[in-house]
Amino acid sequence: MNDLKWAHRHLLGISDLSKEEIFYLLEKANDFRNFLEKSPKRLANLKGYFLVNLFFEPSTRTRVSFEIAAKLLGMEVINFSTSLSSVQKGENLRDTVLTLSQMKVDILVVRHRESGLPLYFAGFLPFHIVNAGDGIREHPTQALLDLLTIKRQFGKVSGLRVAIVGDITHSRVARSLCVGLVKLGNSVVVSGPITLVPRSIEEVGAEIVFPVERAVQDVDIVYLLRIQRERQEAGYFPSLKEYSIFYGFDSKVMQLVRKSFVLMHPGPVNRGVEIASELVEAPFSLIQEQVTCGLAVRMAVLDTLIGSD
Amino acid sequence: MKRILIKRGTLVLVDKGVLADRDLLIEGNRIVRIDRGIQDPQAYVIDASGFLVGPGLVNMHVHFRELENSAGGDGLLAEMRAALKGGFTTIVVMPNTNPPLDEPLVVRYLGYRCREIGLVNVYPAGAITRGLEGQKMSEIGLLKQAGAVAFSDDGKSVMDSHLLYLALMYAKYFDVPFILHEEDISVSGEGQIHEGAVAFRRGLKGIPRVAEDSLIARDLVIGYYTGARVHFTHVSTYFAVELLRWFRDKALISADVTPHHLLLTEEAVDREGVFAKVKPPLREKRDVEALKEGIRDGVITVLASDHAPHKGKSKEMVFSEAAFGISNLEIAFPLYVKALVDEGVLDWVGLWKRMSLNPMQVLGMPEKGFLAEGAEADVTVVDPETEWEVNIENFESQGRNCPFNGWSLRGWPVYTIVGGKILMRERSILEP
Repeated sequence: MNDLKWAHRHLLGISDLSKEEIFYLLEKANDFRNFLEKSPKRLANLKGYFLVNLFFEPSTRTRVSFEIAAKLLGMEVINFSTSLSSVQKGENLRDTVLTLSQMKVDILVVRHRESGLPLYFAGFLPFHIVNAGDGIREHPTQALLDLLTIKRQFGKVSGLRVAIVGDITHSRVARSLCVGLVKLGNSVVVSGPITLVPRSIEEVGAEIVFPVERAVQDVDIVYLLRIQRERQEAGYFPSLKEYSIFYGFDSKVMQLVRKSFVLMHPGPVNRGVEIASELVEAPFSLIQEQVTCGLAVRMAVLDTLIGSD
Repeated sequence: MKRILIKRGTLVLVDKGVLADRDLLIEGNRIVRIDRGIQDPQAYVIDASGFLVGPGLVNMHVHFRELENSAGGDGLLAEMRAALKGGFTTIVVMPNTNPPLDEPLVVRYLGYRCREIGLVNVYPAGAITRGLEGQKMSEIGLLKQAGAVAFSDDGKSVMDSHLLYLALMYAKYFDVPFILHEEDISVSGEGQIHEGAVAFRRGLKGIPRVAEDSLIARDLVIGYYTGARVHFTHVSTYFAVELLRWFRDKALISADVTPHHLLLTEEAVDREGVFAKVKPPLREKRDVEALKEGIRDGVITVLASDHAPHKGKSKEMVFSEAAFGISNLEIAFPLYVKALVDEGVLDWVGLWKRMSLNPMQVLGMPEKGFLAEGAEADVTVVDPETEWEVNIENFESQGRNCPFNGWSLRGWPVYTIVGGKILMRERSILEP
């Protein structure tokens, strides 16, 4: 596996990766995850390289995770957010990133509400680009960290059955995870309010199951998505109260799942909406471990992309 | 436990499509036996010689005006008594009550009050949108949990197509039907009656058919696309029937009519004035004929009534300011006999099925609405021959707004049995 020749200049989506490439990243990430238990944990693999975090959407955990991952590998990091940038002043987005390119950075981590923006950048920018979430399209490092968490929990990352519950329509997390899981030979069921579960997800191999109570039966993993109030305001469901009662994960739903199941969530959690507060830190919850695996995955991605130069 | 034996009647077996001379024995709240020559010396016997004995009538479009007692008396009790008098054992109440049925608490309250009164079965229809304002989806799941069996903004249409699309999709999760009032208010505007000769002559603003047809067309497409269960209520135009016919095998659709749209045309406004003011408006002969044809060929599968009682002065004013609506709950069945049985459109079984089994199927309760051993003892007995005159002074309903006063009709319900209790006997309501 380790002699795989990395063929990608960028990480734009899980869809672009082969099964072997995903396994390669997971194996490397697993090593980093083990390494993170040690101290001191600073490496010098990528010393002298520059990473720019370019976030056009608010984010704490993903941005900080990339920042720490880069620093652990010895990189220099510049955080660039729209509130500080000339984008606020109306500077053209293309000009902004072209300016960055003249500053000779090595890797750009980008998040934007437009689906496909990282692909667009990849068309003309000379450095590596990592997609940290584009619109409702992809969030590949999230999917990889989820897969790593699963791999470490179950000792495998194929042949499992996963229920993804919530706002599938607007979730790049759900899209990337679903594609990744199916690619590795898992079965995926999706559920939630019908208005938030697009029929077209069947085309990537997921099965739509209603109601939620039925979807979570006989699965190894229940993966809850964060519900945003703006979806209610846009009319996709009537109230957060109704959401929590009919689609939320609570002690009632707990009665229906396998004893061996685990719970995952990309965070941050809306306690009392998609999940009952007392279940967030329960023994079957991998939510905290996902965060640490995120760091390991991002180290693996940066190391792989720059290492392929 | 007290038993009721209905002897020598003709049973209307709507599920089998036949009339059959059989006795029917009720024990507790169940029908326990259907057979010839049942003997039971201890039972209370109803001699149903010459009568039709069928499943309790179901009316899936009824308006209550108020949920609280007011100066005018108890609206709930009056309308439930009207239902009993009309032979109805089950009614669906539209949500435009005061307060509207858009909150789980209000729906629970209605159910509680109706159970407390304890006459007919009352199923609330929850509001599709909060306050029936067409702006935000109601808590459809919680309303269903509170007892709503269907959803409607009746009295208004959901004008926002995207909202209706989302609501229909969303509600599929809860497998509930929508009962749609179809009227594009940007077209009907301040219209008072059908846009035809009478409106022209009287100088009243008209409501053209397109106000109804265009929304039915839209919602057939949205219903088809979402795969939701859509029921079109009080259909009134010939073109609506055509549209429904085109979609009947493509989507989960159903439709109902009212008796007044089958028996009256726009000319009734000349005779009856404000009593003939109703939405959708009374149309023309060609519309009536098309509705009957739709009933005959199964495009319209439910006969409801849109009972809309208006008490007091709401009709005693200039035409343009009078309320829309007709009070018809206690005469709906005889009116349908006149419109459909007397005209050869339906036989008795066909009529009864559209007022019992079919509405129950639309409401997602296919195990109800027919006579069978083991079934709930909701039974209506009808005298098919004797003619009585409609007298609005004798109405139980608080609404006397009825254009059929003085009409001589046959097919009156004479007994109404709800849950094994005789609550209407020989056309008189028994005090519970």
